[in-house]
Amino acid sequence: MATYSLATEPRLRALEDIEREIGAILQNAGTVILELSKEKPNERLLHRHAAAFRASVQHVEAELSAQIRYLTQVATGQPHEGSSYSSRKDCQMALQRVDYARLKLRDVARTCEQMLEN
Amino acid sequence: MAQKRALPQSKETLLQSYHKRLKDDIKSMMDNFTEIIKTAKIEDETQVSRATQGEQDNYEIHVRASNIVRAGESLMKLVSDLKQFLILNDFPSVNQAIDQRNQQLQALQEECDSKLTALRDEVSIDLYQLEEAYYSSSSSLREANDLPLCEAYWRLDLDTDAADSLAAPLRVSPEPSAGPLQPAAPAYSHASGPGPTEHA
Repeated sequence: MATYSLATEPRLRALEDIEREIGAILQNAGTVILELSKEKPNERLLHRHAAAFRASVQHVEAELSAQIRYLTQVATGQPHEGSSYSSRKDCQMALQRVDYARLKLRDVARTCEQMLEN
Repeated sequence: MAQKRALPQSKETLLQSYHKRLKDDIKSMMDNFTEIIKTAKIEDETQVSRATQGEQDNYEIHVRASNIVRAGESLMKLVSDLKQFLILNDFPSVNQAIDQRNQQLQALQEECDSKLTALRDEVSIDLYQLEEAYYSSSSSLREANDLPLCEAYWRLDLDTDAADSLAAPLRVSPEPSAGPLQPAAPAYSHASGPGPTEHA
């Protein structure tokens, strides 16, 4: 998969929000610099975007620090050996049973039609 | 609550490197942004001509803006690495995801099996009618000792009841005390002709 944006886990969703916020940080910085380059910069706009830049940077730092702290507590260094393979195999066999039953019913129906034609 | 776990050296080092990268990138962003704002201030007295100072400021702001973008991209890479580390090493969420997937697959399997069981019960009733139609038609090829499945089943039941019932196994309508076939027997006795067409 090229992009995995359908994260169901809340921590992964939080990391995706942080990615969007980093984009917003760069956009705010660009807006401030653009405004400064003008002859008569709009002071209110400057203050607003500069404050948004600072708040976003602090928020991103806090969130990422929290994630790293959580990982330090949770990570064991061992690989996870769980899997859902057995239930996937059972489900696959159940679906094959259904397909087989469908095939057999089709044969019975064909036989009945042939008998009726005869 | 924060217990010190004995992490392997590589994992510990990796997490410390993540922390360092975060601090460095945030510091780089803030410092470069602050310096850009300071450079934008117009000064009357300069050591070089205004044109030279302007060129110098232009180049400096370009470099600092590039530094801000580089720090932003480095932060994106850090977030990507953290996502990968989380997927591989966050055992509580991995266990939860596995349990959820197992439950979904088990529910689907149970639904398939219950539907197949219901289908089997319906089809077994229809099969008795189809067999009667088949074996009573002229196109059936069978030996004298061959019995349709329904007949063989009845015979088995009658044998277990009494010895006299052996004399009347070939009649179409079974006795009411046939046991397991009792629910299907009335439908069977009325549907000898058009049985197959009902299910075509």
